[in-house]
Amino acid sequence: MSEIEQNQTPPSEGQEEPRIAVYTCYCGGNISEVVDCEKVAEAVSKLPNVVISRTDMSMCSDAGQALIEQDIKEHGVNRVIVGACAPSLHETTFRGAVTRAGLNPYLYHHVGIREQDSWVHHNDPEGASEKAIRLLSAGIAKSRMLEPLESIKLDAEKHALIIGGGVAGLRAALDIARRGIKASLIEKTPFIGGRMAQLETTFPVDEPAREALGGLIDRVVEHPNITIYTQAELVGLHGYVGDFHATIRQDQRGVSEDIADAAMAACEIEVPDEFNYGLTTRKVIYRAYDGCYPSTPAVDWANCPDGRLELTLDGKPVVLENRPETIDLTVGAIVVATGFDLYEPREGEYGYGILPEVITLPQFIRLLALNGDAPLEWNGRRVKNIAAIHCVGSREVDGIHEPHEDGSLNEYCSRICCSALLHTLNVVKDRYPDINVYDAYEDIRTYGRGHEDLYIKASHQAVRFLRFHNEERPTVNRENGDQPLLTLNDYLTWGEEIEVPVDLVVLAVGVKPRAIDDIISMLKISKGSDSFLAEVHPKLRPVETAVPGIVLAGTAQGPMNIQESSAAASAAAAKVSVLLGTGEVELEPFVAVVNHDLCDGTGACVEVCCYEDAIALETVTVNGAEVQRAVVTPANCVGCGVCVSACPNLAIDVQGWTLAQYEAMIDAIVGELPTLEAAR
Amino acid sequence: MSTEDKKTRAQLLKQLREQYRDTVDRTQALLKEHNAVRKEIFKAMGDEPRTVPEIAELSGVSSHEVLWHITALKKYDLVAEVGMDGEYYQYQKVKGGAS
Amino acid sequence: MALEKLQVDSLIVGGGIAGMQAALDLADQGYQVALVEKEASIGGKMIALSKVFPTLDCCSCITTPKMSAVAHHENIQLLTYCEVQALEENGGGYTALVEKKPRYVIEEDCTGCRECEYACPIDLPSDFDRGMGAYRAVRVPFSTAVPQVATLDIENCILCGKCEKVCPHGCIDFTQTARHFEIETTAIVLATGFEVTPKDAKKEYGAGQFDNVIDGLMMERLLAPTGPYGHVLRPGDGKEPDSIAYVQCAGSRDATLGIEYCSRVCCMYAIKQAMLLSGALPLADITIYYMDIRTFGKGYEQFYQTARAMGIEFVKGKVAQITEDENKNPVVRVEMLDEGSKIVERTHDLVVLSVGLLPGYNPGSLYGVPAADDGFVTVPSPNISPSETARPGIFVTGVAAGPMDIVDSIVLSGAAASEAAAYIEAHNSRVAVSESKGKKELAHV
Repeated sequence: MSEIEQNQTPPSEGQEEPRIAVYTCYCGGNISEVVDCEKVAEAVSKLPNVVISRTDMSMCSDAGQALIEQDIKEHGVNRVIVGACAPSLHETTFRGAVTRAGLNPYLYHHVGIREQDSWVHHNDPEGASEKAIRLLSAGIAKSRMLEPLESIKLDAEKHALIIGGGVAGLRAALDIARRGIKASLIEKTPFIGGRMAQLETTFPVDEPAREALGGLIDRVVEHPNITIYTQAELVGLHGYVGDFHATIRQDQRGVSEDIADAAMAACEIEVPDEFNYGLTTRKVIYRAYDGCYPSTPAVDWANCPDGRLELTLDGKPVVLENRPETIDLTVGAIVVATGFDLYEPREGEYGYGILPEVITLPQFIRLLALNGDAPLEWNGRRVKNIAAIHCVGSREVDGIHEPHEDGSLNEYCSRICCSALLHTLNVVKDRYPDINVYDAYEDIRTYGRGHEDLYIKASHQAVRFLRFHNEERPTVNRENGDQPLLTLNDYLTWGEEIEVPVDLVVLAVGVKPRAIDDIISMLKISKGSDSFLAEVHPKLRPVETAVPGIVLAGTAQGPMNIQESSAAASAAAAKVSVLLGTGEVELEPFVAVVNHDLCDGTGACVEVCCYEDAIALETVTVNGAEVQRAVVTPANCVGCGVCVSACPNLAIDVQGWTLAQYEAMIDAIVGELPTLEAAR
Repeated sequence: MSTEDKKTRAQLLKQLREQYRDTVDRTQALLKEHNAVRKEIFKAMGDEPRTVPEIAELSGVSSHEVLWHITALKKYDLVAEVGMDGEYYQYQKVKGGAS
Repeated sequence: MALEKLQVDSLIVGGGIAGMQAALDLADQGYQVALVEKEASIGGKMIALSKVFPTLDCCSCITTPKMSAVAHHENIQLLTYCEVQALEENGGGYTALVEKKPRYVIEEDCTGCRECEYACPIDLPSDFDRGMGAYRAVRVPFSTAVPQVATLDIENCILCGKCEKVCPHGCIDFTQTARHFEIETTAIVLATGFEVTPKDAKKEYGAGQFDNVIDGLMMERLLAPTGPYGHVLRPGDGKEPDSIAYVQCAGSRDATLGIEYCSRVCCMYAIKQAMLLSGALPLADITIYYMDIRTFGKGYEQFYQTARAMGIEFVKGKVAQITEDENKNPVVRVEMLDEGSKIVERTHDLVVLSVGLLPGYNPGSLYGVPAADDGFVTVPSPNISPSETARPGIFVTGVAAGPMDIVDSIVLSGAAASEAAAYIEAHNSRVAVSESKGKKELAHV
């Protein structure tokens, strides 16, 4: 740590002279390994109004923050700048420190010299140091013009919307409700429970999946704070944290309980049953499974011609029609628990879609469930040999694997498939000890608590493991014989080529981001490079999106097993409780303000504004005359500044980021600087 | 501090010494050993920049142990890292620091 | 004797990243929290790390602000150097008897100036630096410690009184004794963390006798900017290593050690360290010997592929033995599965054992929560309630609930906070109901 202090003349009477303290953070090496922090601190110390310029290994530490507090109290510092990581990480941390020392939090200014400097210019240390000086100088220029601001406090609706009725959505709804906050859960299919209901048993605790799920569903259904909407989708959203207005479209269930069974019997239209991944068919009036919730069957309108269903009940013709209803909900926060899609192998990928013997792991799990204890048959033949292949649609590497139609590659590990596959293979060996099972993998990833036991058990049960290289994955072909042939170089046995004729090939398909672009655009949240929904930061804000009040639960964020989805959902519920528990939310004060002396009511600002009810022309009295002037509703304004640029009279400013401040910053960036040389 | 307080304090320290006699003895022996090793290390260093293997060679102290002492001395500003010789850093006594 | 009493909604045991996060997630919801940490500072294992995967943020950037937030939060009572000694049920909640160990330093007056530390004549191998560096018998535990106060290690002190003489604020107080007090709480969150496989656990790997065979946490310290040497040097002789090897599953997935589980973090920390090493020592050869690479988390596989592309060598094969040559260079004997399973011996300058995570402390008897066969706290319904223990009102997070990385610990702490909050709400409404019933009865009289 170094410090450079300068004696400055005391502030003149009346007007508070800016006394700026600048701290250049080493960021534990992240910055200092590239940027010469000491030189930077020395250089900026020469700038007017800078009374203190220090460096520190880690400004965000308690000691670093204490330093700021001390400087404010002991050296009369009234503007604080830290040059460190991106503001999204620690701007609020430092505002807290400044507040504790009695200064207005908005007299703090954060300058990003890590993401915007050291991390991107690591090949040019000198340039990076100069850039840090320029960025800090701009911050200093702005800081001179900072004014105290007050955050905007608004009432928050103690009500959360949960999108998705799988295990994550249910878990989040329950935890929110138990905190005394209302929870409305919308599920797009007619039944809640999601994919967990499709499993026979779970791991690491080997128990019937529907029992564990059923317990959760019972608690959710019984909770007075929770309302469930099935066959319901989000179709519109506006508002902001604490006061979102959601529009939900809900289909009709179609049949009432009293005629349900008769209607199901009378219904003649059959479609592939997605619950069994197409292994069976179901009617378009259906229950997902025995014991599903709600127990009333529903009409699958999407598979009814023209959205109508004609039946004959008791000899009389009956027409069932969908008249969707619109429900408006006002909620303070939104939990996105929309789940995942499964990877659909390309035609011919390991013979999928060409050889009937090739199925996916989820299909196989359903096959075993449907089969019960009966001898296992597939494609008209008793199954004696099974091959399972890992990483189908996962861990794809650029330059080795062929991109998908949209040019993408699933580079990620799908996390759940290794353990799920081994758990299933153990079920096979338990039930059918005589079936030979071959397992082709690159790495076995039974990482979770109790998961390695699945691997050990499979080995003890004589599942035969074959190891391939990611760059030369196995092939499945039917050549001469009538059985498909699994071929690979096995690196557990000196890389020799092995051919195994099998009756069934099980592909451990990966997890894919769900196609929810409509929801993403309504919520204005974003996807990461893997196309799953992005959190702000995996450690600092792991379940929050960049949009205040919108949090993530479960596999919408990335591959997770049931346990991890539950944990993430409960964590999301905790964040919702933090937000809504007090019934009040705080927003940053960076909103547009209109100078009515300059505004002449052109309305250009209203025209360009993208946000509802953020700025409008209102009649006000100026010098006794009634005139139209732009008026901002701070709660609806996000401070984007579009109105600022549209105003022909320069009558609008975003407070905290005014035009004058920007000008000062730009002047500082392009102007003469205390260079490294001059500082020496 | 009043005479009374001083007395109480002396009494307490005595009690504490009694209570922790074993650990005090052990630690005192450790200190003695450290001082002896450091004397050798400082002798080997002279006023020159030296690497750990050089100090080990000259002092007969194992290089692992030399490194630990140099690390401790460096932390409390008695020795400074001054350069590099091949794959090894060089250390030198700090003037006015080490005896 | 009446004990001092503290009343809170939730007691958090353990001030590592998991405990801090649980404390913050409860306190932010408005609950009163007491955080008890047995060490002199909060921060846990994480604060000693270098940079953390997969973002490569410096660990301080994540940990220290949370430490600071815990210390300053109006709803959190931070109790460092304290241990829970007994626990009793108390009307649907619990009463914990806590001992505050003597620091022999008056906490309120200490400014953390470290004058005492500089004056102290006793150098000891520093636990914080995994024995590679030194600290003194009286010390501030590490530069970013919270609280920033000195603690005197009486067991390694000669009671010379030098510290007392130099302390500018008269903080050294040899008359301190342990204090006891009670915490009444509704819920408890256990975040008692882990230890790592002892370096001497495996005799095939030299049983801890080779100076240039270190563990993953030692490498974290070597890579940290506040590390003992200030550079990556091998502890045997201070040489800057040209060839560094990682031995994966050194203490995990190993029936001979009785530890069959995967420790879940070692693949990623080894890959991360390998990446940081290629930055710190661009010319060094880095090899990772592994059985399976388990980079399962969000962004982790991409991280692994980046490491491969950077030229880090990944060798599939379980290391059978490590020996030492005459220059104290470790020699690794390994079956190279990808090269016809030939058995080779390769010499490196430095070998890092990717040691696994062990349950450090068994809260079983004290808290009445059983441990499973793996030694970690039993979670009866892991799929639906991943932080619930077998005892009502007691929740578990972090590695106390089984090996997991920082990201997963932080998320599980949110879950534990959620469960604890719901438990507190239910408890409070029960109390409110019984109180109102009591009032009614009184009115009838």
